[in-house]
Amino acid sequence: MPNPYIPMLTRVKSIISENEVRDIKTLELEFQKKEEYKAFDYIPGQFAEISIIGKGECPIGIASSPTEEGTIKFTIKKMGTVTSSFHNSDIGDTIGVRGPLGNGWPMEELKGQNIVVIGGGFAFSTLRSLVLYILDDKHRKDYGDITVIYGNRDSGEVLYRDVLEEWEKRDDINVVLTIDREEESWTRKVGFVAAVVKEVAPSPDNAVAIICGPPIMIRTAVDELVKIGWKDEKILNSLEMRMKCGIGKCGRCNIGEKFVCIDGPVFSLAELKKMPNEY
Amino acid sequence: MAEKLLKKDDIGKFYSELEKEYKFYAPTKVKGNIAFKKISNAEEIELDYLNSKVPPKDVLFPQKETIFEYRYEGKEVIIEERKDLEDKLIIFGVRPCDAYSFKLLEDFFASGDFQDDIFLKKRENATIIGIGCNSPRQSCFCTSVGGHPFQKESTDVFLSDLGDTYLVEAISEKGENLLKKLSWLADAKKADVEKSKELAKLAEESFTTKFDFDLVTKVLDENFEHPVWQEISESCIGCSSCTFLCPTCTCFDVIDENDEYNNRGRRIRIWDTCQSCLYTLETSGHNPRPAKIQRCRNRIMHKFSYYPSNYDCLGCVGCGRCITACPVNNELRLIIDKILEIQEKSGEKVSA
Repeated sequence: MPNPYIPMLTRVKSIISENEVRDIKTLELEFQKKEEYKAFDYIPGQFAEISIIGKGECPIGIASSPTEEGTIKFTIKKMGTVTSSFHNSDIGDTIGVRGPLGNGWPMEELKGQNIVVIGGGFAFSTLRSLVLYILDDKHRKDYGDITVIYGNRDSGEVLYRDVLEEWEKRDDINVVLTIDREEESWTRKVGFVAAVVKEVAPSPDNAVAIICGPPIMIRTAVDELVKIGWKDEKILNSLEMRMKCGIGKCGRCNIGEKFVCIDGPVFSLAELKKMPNEY
Repeated sequence: MAEKLLKKDDIGKFYSELEKEYKFYAPTKVKGNIAFKKISNAEEIELDYLNSKVPPKDVLFPQKETIFEYRYEGKEVIIEERKDLEDKLIIFGVRPCDAYSFKLLEDFFASGDFQDDIFLKKRENATIIGIGCNSPRQSCFCTSVGGHPFQKESTDVFLSDLGDTYLVEAISEKGENLLKKLSWLADAKKADVEKSKELAKLAEESFTTKFDFDLVTKVLDENFEHPVWQEISESCIGCSSCTFLCPTCTCFDVIDENDEYNNRGRRIRIWDTCQSCLYTLETSGHNPRPAKIQRCRNRIMHKFSYYPSNYDCLGCVGCGRCITACPVNNELRLIIDKILEIQEKSGEKVSA
């Protein structure tokens, strides 16, 4: 087995600025070695440790779906040194990738069930991957109804507009977009995610809810789900935590005896309730 | 293989025959403390010591080490892997607790889907020459964590200090091969072996610090939210001596270190500690363990609760370094006592 700390090298193929304030970009990466891309066998919900060699490395969820062949994508918010260096990179620059890491969304277990995707803000990247995967012709028949509830503070913050518009045109997915406050040109819903969840009231029958977003959004949305009969086992979250190695060695992403990097990042609410509140 | 004898006067010969093939690490005096360093002269070996301040862990898992090197050629980045991992090492004079820590480290770094190649290769190429403890320190408690002052299992060659000579035993195949190179070692007599056993018995009887860690683990599992953690963490100043000097602590940070003038650099890892608030601090400002109480609890839980759950053994070898190192005397024996008091108090309530 190769040394797991050595990154595979990729090149930036395209850069998309995702929001109005331009602090979120999606980098599309092409592997320098074809065989390494072939070996990069991932499922939605997994992450990778990506780096600008010489600046540093950080864990980022994979935004592309394995069904989008040829490249992988990462959506990165400009926060600190490393994420800023990604924002400063140009087409053709070298980026190191270690992965895929983490458990990812349980695509096998989800088969045959209705899927309710609830996302808020920029934590939508692995949800993009998940929905694209399910909507792919090869997989669509394996899953039941899909509902996507995606909320943002304002319309300028909505990520992945191109794919969202495509989803809205389809009749095999129910897309509900919302923003916190009214805006003139906005024709979709207005209100917090929890309020929209209450209004949409997704049925818990043979269904799994997959939630990503800021902690307050997760808490309030979960409250609404629980009120209408959802069980903790059927509500899935993906956690974020500071990490260095991503492979269960550097220590810091533990929550009790679990490591977010290798035991997660996806945990059910039932699992989270058994873990100490240190995340 | 039969036991051998090594005269202390022959340590120089022992060293000079092995140093050509092996990088030879031994206990030596550094600024008034004992440390395991690569030596270049047998005179540097310190034979009269209880244990080193920094555990010999740092020979295989140094405080700072290169993961890989890189250089830039225009927009290209070229990664250069380490080539020194195949070097053969001898670590001489390792106490049984520290030898056992190498086993824990090896099991940890090999666990799961990803193996830590850097550590494991070095471990594979290292021969551990252990030595029994004739007079354990007052802070030692290896017998409470499944160890023993003369435990030989995790060593390749084991020495017993008989006064002017060492009884030398090959424990592993690696150890046997090493001793085959030293054909001049005299055969030990039955009396020498008996003397070593007697020393082991005396050493074991001298222990004053003893814990029932099965009970500790049980109490910890049930008392994550107990107010005792407030009491335990109160005097801690977060200096992290306990974790930096611990032979089983493995946490590390990773950074890129650049040599800008030469268009190259290296990615390194550096020991890190769960006792630092920066350890878990996220870029957003969110911190899952922002307070001392959570960080002190994490260390104790990791060693005595999470480790047993994940790896079926304690994450402690009983060396007592965290006991002697704590500058505010908030040491492990007192912490364990406080934890066990929870059980005693709840027992009283039940009987009343």
